Amino acid sequence: MTLRLPHLPGLLPFLIPALLTGGGVALPLLYLVLRALEAEPKALQEILLRPKNLELLLNTLALFFGVLLLTTLLALPLAFLTTRTDLKGKRVFAILLTLPLAIPGYVGAYVLLAATGEGGILPLPRPEGYWGALLVLSFITYPYLFLSLRAAFLGLDPSLEEAARTLGLSPFRAFLKATFPQLLPALLSGYLVVGLHVLGDFGTVSLLRYETFSYAIYLQYTAAFDRVYAAWLALFLLLLTGGLLLLEGVFLSRLALARAGKGASRRARPVRLGPLAPLAYLLLSLPVLLALVLPLYALFHLASRFPRENLEGVREALLHSALAAGPAAALAVGMALPIAYLAVRYPSFPARLLERLAYLGYAVPPLAFALAWVFFSLKGLPFLYGTLPLLILVLAFHFLAESLGPIRGALHQVPRRLEEAARTLGETPTGAFFRVTFPLLWRGTLAGGALAFIGAVKELPITLLLAPMGYSTLATRVFSYTQEAMFAEAAPFALLIALLSAAFVGVLLWSERRF
Amino acid sequence: MERRTILTLIGLTILNLSLAQTQTLTVYSGRGQSLVEPLVKQFERDTGIRVQVRYGTDAQILAALQEEGGRSPADVFWGNTSGALGRAAGLGLLRPLGDSLLKTPQAFAPASRSWVPVTLRLRVLAYNPQKFKPEELPQSILDLPRFAREKGLGGRVGWTPTYSSFQDMVAGMIALHGEAKTRAWLEEMKALAPKAYASNPAMLDAIRAGEVDLGSTNHYYVVRFRRAGYQLGMHHFQDGDVGNLALVTGAGILKTGKNLTAATRFLTYLLSPKAQQYFAGTIGEYPLVKGVVTDPNLLPLEEALAKSPRMDFEKLPLEQALRLLRELGIL
Repeated sequence: MTLRLPHLPGLLPFLIPALLTGGGVALPLLYLVLRALEAEPKALQEILLRPKNLELLLNTLALFFGVLLLTTLLALPLAFLTTRTDLKGKRVFAILLTLPLAIPGYVGAYVLLAATGEGGILPLPRPEGYWGALLVLSFITYPYLFLSLRAAFLGLDPSLEEAARTLGLSPFRAFLKATFPQLLPALLSGYLVVGLHVLGDFGTVSLLRYETFSYAIYLQYTAAFDRVYAAWLALFLLLLTGGLLLLEGVFLSRLALARAGKGASRRARPVRLGPLAPLAYLLLSLPVLLALVLPLYALFHLASRFPRENLEGVREALLHSALAAGPAAALAVGMALPIAYLAVRYPSFPARLLERLAYLGYAVPPLAFALAWVFFSLKGLPFLYGTLPLLILVLAFHFLAESLGPIRGALHQVPRRLEEAARTLGETPTGAFFRVTFPLLWRGTLAGGALAFIGAVKELPITLLLAPMGYSTLATRVFSYTQEAMFAEAAPFALLIALLSAAFVGVLLWSERRF
Repeated sequence: MERRTILTLIGLTILNLSLAQTQTLTVYSGRGQSLVEPLVKQFERDTGIRVQVRYGTDAQILAALQEEGGRSPADVFWGNTSGALGRAAGLGLLRPLGDSLLKTPQAFAPASRSWVPVTLRLRVLAYNPQKFKPEELPQSILDLPRFAREKGLGGRVGWTPTYSSFQDMVAGMIALHGEAKTRAWLEEMKALAPKAYASNPAMLDAIRAGEVDLGSTNHYYVVRFRRAGYQLGMHHFQDGDVGNLALVTGAGILKTGKNLTAATRFLTYLLSPKAQQYFAGTIGEYPLVKGVVTDPNLLPLEEALAKSPRMDFEKLPLEQALRLLRELGIL
């Protein structure tokens, strides 16, 4: 079925929310462009030709490629060890290695700052600036690459590697020539997620004092208050993100790796590690220790010094986080459902466009997105500016894409015939959807909502720029205390974020039966 | 039909009553949440007035006030610097204040008469006492780059160019020594590859952790770190040096404010002995009213006042300072 005119009236309940959603993502971005172009020619010239821009670009790119390299060095062996070897307990390790996803970058950076230096928990020299940002961002984003490489390893066809071996290649060369190319799509999709994280990251780089575009936008917006320059920096950042999305698309379309021969692929025989096993365990434990055990230990340690009388603040922040993230997650699911439905049931250009727009909202660095909404709402919807509904709305627009995946997945599994049967019995498309399809989607919907919820709880820049006055969430509390180097005061808030996220990551992994 | 009308009326009455009873004061605070929130809570307990605070930097709040224009819900602007308060006065955002308020603080009442000074802070040099003896430190902040070069401190000097007090100090330098000399100082500092921190505590924590050795900051941050048990040195330059610039925090009532009585009570409260004792005790700032016990870490108020150069603090050339910082790629 494609989207044709006769379908339109029955589909309106899907089309209207989907179009509104698309508008919510696209309009503020357009407005950001307009706002940036508002500058007077002379000021514009000064802004565009600032030597500082080049410095920011080089800094951003250096961090980007550094993190991609380090996450590859981490994720590739880890994914191999937990899928293709005879190691005992590799499933448990796979889960432990995924859990650092629960720790937001700003919490990682904060732990590093609080724990090191003379008088810290770990009397090590303090890795700040480039190296600090590289370490923290790599250790919190490698799980994305790890998960996608694991999936690739598990679906890999071993016959190619075997053929390469029979042609006389050494195991290592066979891996390089036959197996590695098959991993490329997984690497690229992992790189996309990791790369978007690095470009959009704001908390880590600002705490560790490494000036990337995101950090510079925040500084110009809050400290120096040059809004036109902030808008331009946001546009530069958008260009980088856009370039990344384009590159990924081009690379993926050139790859053709599906089996051409007949027959099914089979599972590979596990590699026997033998005497190398202890080494493998060491390698697997290292990221778990550094990215999970150390941060949690440091947070508990710091939280024990937390002044008791401030506990009320913790409860309030938790409530505020829930009051923003809960409705945002529900709204995200509400927006994702019609878009997923149109994309799966009526694949057509407009449906694909809407879906791309939803992903665009996710790919746009949160700080740039928030800035776009600040400008847009002040101009077009002044009654919304500085209110909780606006924060909820923007969070939902941003995290919509996270709910889209699971909902689409679930929708693909609902047989179309059920819906068609309902249609022949006289139901409209909408009626058929709600009476037949929707009841079968709850698992995917729940997973999608959970992803959006936890994303919104961890989110920092959008909350920082758009929350109503005096509305402090777990994330903004962590940020404001750590900015003031009040590490003990920040600890319970950070700990709550990490534990909440870990619980959700656990539930999701379990419900998807990923391991 | 009749029942519905009555219900609506009752509903409206309840809404009206609740609106009238919850007296809410809206404060835009350029002062950090972690520092002043306890005092705001105390004010709520003492007066029964509910306070809604929007925290931000001075620059952020000034911009928000301008963007919101007449629609602004704010009653009070509680500023971190006299520069920002002076700018708000210059933009015509503030309401003139009465004598009873303006007479209370011991010094610094502004010529515009539209805000009251609340506390005083001094710029000081924070340093690692294991690295330097107090007597070898420079007598003027203008000599800091030369001192750092001679000591080989490249990459080991901290600064906070995005922080309002630092920007005020640069503005003070322009006012006292001219733009050319200030530009030369900033360029010499830049040549030392200083590390830029987003906040003063972050910089002091870096001195604590051995990441840098010294940096210009506000005195009460050093006081706070010392109370937490960290070894940090605090150096005053010679009397009248711009490196000792006195910075006044203060508060004013906005013209958009709808809640004049509560706003006046809030300002009066900030100058009460109880609040002033909080500033001196918990935060470590200099109080501006008599009869407050100060920290032994602090100089007596008269001595502190003598440290700072004398100038019209409302008229610091802040715009010029910002432009200079941007031009040099520091911001």
